[in-house]
Order: sequence, then C-alpha cells, then structure tokens
Amino acid sequence: MQESSHDKTSPSDAGAAQDGITPAHAAPVTGALAAPPANARGDAARTAHGVGAGGLSSMQQVVELADGLSTIADRLHERILREIRSYDGRGVPVQVQDAMRRLLDDEMALRQRANTLYADAAAFVIQGLDQPQSRVNALTAAAAEKIRRIGVIGEVTGLVGGLLSLAGAVATGQPTPIVLAIEKIQLHSTTLDALTPTPPTAAA
Amino acid sequence: MLRRLAVGLVLGLGVLLGGCASQGSVSLQEVREFADASAKLGGYAELSRRYRDTYEREQPYLPPQAERIARENDVRRRAVYDDFVAIQKTLVLYMQTLSLLAGEGRYDLSERIDDLGNGLKANAESGLQQRHVAAYTGMTRLLTRVIASGYQNRSVETMVRDGDADVQVLLDAMISLTRLYYKTNENEKKTVLGIFDVELPFSNRNTDRMLVTLAKVHYLNKATEYKLIDRRYELALQGLTKVALGHQKMRENMNKLTGDETRRVLANYARDLRAIRDGLNGD
Repeated sequence: MQESSHDKTSPSDAGAAQDGITPAHAAPVTGALAAPPANARGDAARTAHGVGAGGLSSMQQVVELADGLSTIADRLHERILREIRSYDGRGVPVQVQDAMRRLLDDEMALRQRANTLYADAAAFVIQGLDQPQSRVNALTAAAAEKIRRIGVIGEVTGLVGGLLSLAGAVATGQPTPIVLAIEKIQLHSTTLDALTPTPPTAAA
Repeated sequence: MLRRLAVGLVLGLGVLLGGCASQGSVSLQEVREFADASAKLGGYAELSRRYRDTYEREQPYLPPQAERIARENDVRRRAVYDDFVAIQKTLVLYMQTLSLLAGEGRYDLSERIDDLGNGLKANAESGLQQRHVAAYTGMTRLLTRVIASGYQNRSVETMVRDGDADVQVLLDAMISLTRLYYKTNENEKKTVLGIFDVELPFSNRNTDRMLVTLAKVHYLNKATEYKLIDRRYELALQGLTKVALGHQKMRENMNKLTGDETRRVLANYARDLRAIRDGLNGD
C-alpha cells in the first residue's frame, strides 16, 4: 500500500500527521493541520457528534452529508480513471502515477470520513429505543405467561374425555365408571375456573 | 338421577362459559405462519456482524491516513453492536411468542367430538334422549372452542394491538440501520476494488505479469463477493419492510384476524418472507 501521499494541502491530509509514517516532505503542511478537526471534514465530524441534541432531522442531515462525501469520493475515482485512460495504454509517467495514488488515498480517506458519519447516524438511530424495547419485552413476557396458561387448556381434552365417559357410563348405568367420571370432571372444572378468559384490556 | 346430573353438569358449564362464545374460527394459522416467518427472517443479524467487522476486511487496502480514521470508526461500530443486535433479539422473541400464542389447531376438538357424538347417537336407545345428545355434543364443541379460541384469539389480539407501535419503531430502526450498513459497505467495496482500478494500468512491465494476474483474480473474486453481498442488503430490507407491513395489517384488522381477506394478505406476507429467507440462505 502507498504511504507517500501526504505532500499537499488536500483536506484529507489533516489526519495523516499522527500516523508517524508520514514522509518527511509532508511534515510542514500536515503539521499545520494536525490539530483535528481543522478542516472541512473535521467540521462534518463535529456536526455529527452534536447530533444527539439535534434530533431526527439532524441525523438525516448527517446521512446526507455522508452521502455527499461518498459521492465526491466516487467522482474523484472517476476523475483518476479518466486521467489514467487519457494515456490510452501508453505508459503513465511516474510522477503522474504518484499524483494519482495520492488522489486515491484522498478518496479512501473521504470514504472513511463518510463512514464515520454513517456510524454516528447509526448510533443515533438506536437512541430512545430503550423504552420501545422494554415494552415489547414486557409484552412478550406477558404473552409467554398466557401461553403457559393456554398450555393448561390441554386439560380441556381431559374434561371432554371425562364428560364422554360420564355420558357413556350413564348410558350403560354402571356405577363405578360414573363415579370415576364425575371425579375427573370435578378435577378439570377446577382447572378451568382458573382459565376463564379475561377481556383483552385486563389481560394487557 | 345420574343422567340428570350429567346433563345438568354439562348445562352448568355451558352457562359458565357460554358468555364467551362470540369468537370465530379457532384457526390463527396465518398469524402463526407470518410470525414464524418473521422470526426466522435472518439477514439483519448477519449484516450487523458484517458492519461490525468492516475494519477487518478493509484494513489491508487502506492507506495510512484513511486507516487511522478507519480504526476510530471500528471503535464506534463495535461500541454499539450489542445494541443493534438487541433490537433484533427483542423482535425475534416477540414474533416467536406471537407464533406460539397463535397456536395450532390442536385445541379444536370439534372433529373428535363429532365422532363421539355420532357414537352416542347410535346408542340413543340407551337412555340419553336425542336432544341430550345434541345438547351434549354441541356443548362440548362450544366449550372447547370457547376456551381455546376465545382465549387464544383475544391474547393474540392483545399482543398485536399493544405491541404494534413499538414493534413498528423497532422495525423502522432496523431498516434505518440496514440502510446505513449498506452505505458503509458501499464505501468498503469501493475502497477494496478501487486500488486495482488505479494500480493495474500502472503495472505493465513484463516483470509485473504474475502480480497482475494474481491481482486480477483477486479483483474478480472480490467483485463477485460484493455483488452477492449487495443482494443480501436488498433482501434484508425487503424482508424487514414486509414484516412491518404484515404486522400493521394485523393491527388494522384486529377484529377480523380470522377473516378471509386478512388471512389471505397475511399468508402472502408469510410466503414472501419465506421466499426472502430462502434467497438469503441460497447464496
């Protein structure tokens, strides 16, 4: 990868000063810009940091700003390729190559700045979601409890079975099955008392 | 005497529970299928991870000053990853629970009761009068429907009604985040591929041939990888949007969840969601 692209006053060079691998000839310029954020994109990042107080529209503005930076990076890339293509297969002079590489480095830095803003916007998206999340979690827990109770409704099957035994026993007139069936029904109807449906509002 | 007791008991239960007999069919099959498909959608979790790990992938391609910013971005992204995933976990749990709540037809005992009722009828001369048999079978069918479907339907309605606003907020957040993941991925893609656009034309000496060949192969692999990934963002966004629309549809049709129109629309959403999931799994 290239490490030699910090020798001009492009805004992206501001961030290079702290890399410790900046070529010596770049030092005067980057040194002057070293205190971040001291350029246009630094301002952009600062805007993003202040977004928490600014609300949703600020967040959208941050995204738009990031989109803008991404678009500029795209144009820069196109411009680089156009320059290279203009040599039409002939060798690109070394100094032009270096210039193109520096522009490519700028493009990458622009993309990273844009991604910083996207990250800020993403962090903003989840602000204030604690409440909706905990409410949904509470609702889910309540529903899980209802499911547990509906699970008990499986008892209905037993109840119906009991009723059928009773009916059958009554039909044949045999005492023992009748008593058993009645006991079974009593057991189940106790369970069912606990399951009497409640209106939605109360259930909520 | 016992016969009277039996009939009385049945009728007594009928009075106890009859007031709740206003619900329709027990089947909430479409609600269940929709909730299932929503819970299993996928895409978001994987893309959240991918977003978190952006730096690892792009790091080798970054020049120093961009790399420095990228490291800061990495810290930012990792700091919120758990929160991003928590939203999805909340929604998945919600949908799984809704699916369970919508249950299956296993509480609907109508068929079995009909069979048994018919058996009883065949035994009519045994002492139970025909009208008792009819009352009995009707009663037990009602009983099971009332308890099962009444309670279930209302619980589903409660959950959907009380949950919709928050569910929509969470889904909206997931959609917004997925869009930001996508935009970040676009910059990653152009960073990874960009260097080859510039360097390949510069490398035209004979001694560069092996390097150029390797670079071209790498470029093609990466270009294909990103093409596939782009499709996943698209599918994930489509899926989340359909989950939001489907839940909204349930909310709007709260009192007719078992109506044909609602069932049809929900079934369509569930089918679309399954297709999207298949698309996500197919790559």
